[in-house]
Amino acid sequence: MQFVRRILASQETGLVIVVALLTVTLIAMAGSHADRATGMAVNNFWNANTIVQTLTDASFFAIMAIGATMVIISGGIDLSVGSIYALAGVTMALVLRAAGPMASGTTVVVGIVVCVGIGLLCGLLNGILVVGLRVHPFIITLGSMWVLRGVAFVISKAESILVPQSLTGVAKAPLGLGGGLYPVPMLAMIVLTVLGAIYLTRTVMGRHIFAFGGNLEASRFAGLALPRIQIGVFAVSGLTAGISAFLGASFYGSASSGDAQGYELYVIASAVVGGASLIGGKGSAVGAMLGALLIVLIRQSIRTLHFDQNYEWIVIGCAIIIAVVIDQWSTRMTARRLSRAAEATRSAA
Amino acid sequence: MIGMRAGWGSVVLAGVCAAALACSGGGADKAATAGDSTKAATSTGGKAIKIAMIAKSSDNPVFLAARTGAEAAAKELSAKHGVQVTVEWLTPPKEDGEVQAQRIRQAMNEGVDAILISCSDAGKVTGAINDAVDRGVTVMTFDSDAPQSKRFAFYGVDDPKAGQQTMAELAKVLNGKGNVAILAGNQNAPNLQRRVQGVKDEAAKYPGIKIVGVFNHIETPQDATAEVIRVNNAYPEITGWAFIGGWPLFATSLMTELDPSKQKVVSVDAIPVELPYVDKGVVPVLLAQSVYKWGHVGVTTIFDKLHDNKAPANPVMPMELVRVSKENLGDWARQLKEWGFTDVAPEYLKLPPAAK
Repeated sequence: MQFVRRILASQETGLVIVVALLTVTLIAMAGSHADRATGMAVNNFWNANTIVQTLTDASFFAIMAIGATMVIISGGIDLSVGSIYALAGVTMALVLRAAGPMASGTTVVVGIVVCVGIGLLCGLLNGILVVGLRVHPFIITLGSMWVLRGVAFVISKAESILVPQSLTGVAKAPLGLGGGLYPVPMLAMIVLTVLGAIYLTRTVMGRHIFAFGGNLEASRFAGLALPRIQIGVFAVSGLTAGISAFLGASFYGSASSGDAQGYELYVIASAVVGGASLIGGKGSAVGAMLGALLIVLIRQSIRTLHFDQNYEWIVIGCAIIIAVVIDQWSTRMTARRLSRAAEATRSAA
Repeated sequence: MIGMRAGWGSVVLAGVCAAALACSGGGADKAATAGDSTKAATSTGGKAIKIAMIAKSSDNPVFLAARTGAEAAAKELSAKHGVQVTVEWLTPPKEDGEVQAQRIRQAMNEGVDAILISCSDAGKVTGAINDAVDRGVTVMTFDSDAPQSKRFAFYGVDDPKAGQQTMAELAKVLNGKGNVAILAGNQNAPNLQRRVQGVKDEAAKYPGIKIVGVFNHIETPQDATAEVIRVNNAYPEITGWAFIGGWPLFATSLMTELDPSKQKVVSVDAIPVELPYVDKGVVPVLLAQSVYKWGHVGVTTIFDKLHDNKAPANPVMPMELVRVSKENLGDWARQLKEWGFTDVAPEYLKLPPAAK
């Protein structure tokens, strides 16, 4: 009973309900079309292709949002994830082009190592600069956002570089599904969300991140290794951007310096809609994933219901503001209720 | 129960999102309207043809003109053949090859018959185009091609030739000598890179002409205008500009910023907002892409393929640039008006026809 109550009380449950409501609405209102092969009526939203495609679209944001959420929980912000994505993808494509033809397995391993490695390095660099220079993460990552994209631009010479077919083969592996269904990015998102959730809630390092963001002074007095925690969260953020870049470049078949432009805002929005507090101490990997999914679903619904797509940014913007306002209102109400309860206990005593 | 409020607060969020979505329906898609308008004309029946149109960005007026052309063609074909042809506008708000690839997948999942696309990044969309073709969706490109893909046709200008023509016209007004800057738009767009190369190749034929630099920018009128002003301040020696796209001329501020006695400009594109530049002599020559035809020819070609199984003899269908100068300004203005542009200044419509 306690477990059920805890599940119901979690913020993720609210998001799941929102996603479910939106899904049901879409199924009901989407209409249908005749399947090209069978001639049978297929719901425009509730079909395997659209579901996998929606989850795939969400996966690139969601994976980055898991890392970015850790930065936000620590009280920081990472504006450079889109640029890390671009630099990691471009570097991987350039290295693989320079290396020439290799065995498929080798190509994939080299691609992953380069892409994830570059992401990790960029994240570490962000963290070291934040800690070393004692400058707010907003400023450091704002700067690195431009620097890293500039580096990607210079090294790629503004070219869109094709990645080897073996990488596309991995990212678009049907895994036995067939019918144009490519579940790999979606599965990667789910696996990374689970890993992120375990890291945040079941490991000491994860707990330290909450402590760091929730109360910096208390963490300092508790003797936590604050610089290590801060560098660590940026490293994880860079790492997830690198993983996302690998999947993105492989799935779409090329990498360019213009990739993921503006994605940092979608990533932060996913984290915030997923319940992360920009003042730190609150957030979850599952929430980030659900936040990304909700944003992509809102985009998808505009398309599926044939609404004017020019309203997309307005709707997403409204959703973000409302999510934050509700979150703050809820926090204030809870604090007030706890304070009243404490007062009542004192009076009774 | 602490988190309960936040959790259920999200349910309120869902309601608000739904309300916002409902409001967005107020401005219902023009494509849907076009579809509705054609229904009456097609009451005789016949298989409906649904075409998804994916241009590079929905804030670029040239693509809005292409959309007008596509919807007009859909209406004409519906009326002529008794087949309901609809155009669904799936253009991203800003240029993004990945989003275009996502839109291609969305379109095929929703059962469209064909896709008409201008590729922001050929590498990014080739895979999605091939998947669509493999699933029986007919794909045609316009403006910016994906030549390695399985698209059945491309309609657009020959980009190197467009660059060469721009430079040739500029060389003419500069009398074969001067310092030339190239305004080049998005650095990642392969079609623009080819136009730049065309400008350079042509410039090499004129010993008196020196290319000062190639200047990229975000493809909005404001960013493009700011880039021109910045470059002019930094390189006072510039005597000529080759705009390989008309971005800064989609705003009016260069009317006062450019001095035609010191600098000559030749630009690709000629939509209504650019006509005063020709009239006042600030830009003596515009090389017009018939942007309306991107949509019109695109939809017609797709219709021929789907309805009559007729593909063009050459998959690359070149579009000729139209030279617009003071001499034929009236003719061009009337042509734009005929294509459905509503913002053509009336004074240009009254200009006499060009002498034959």
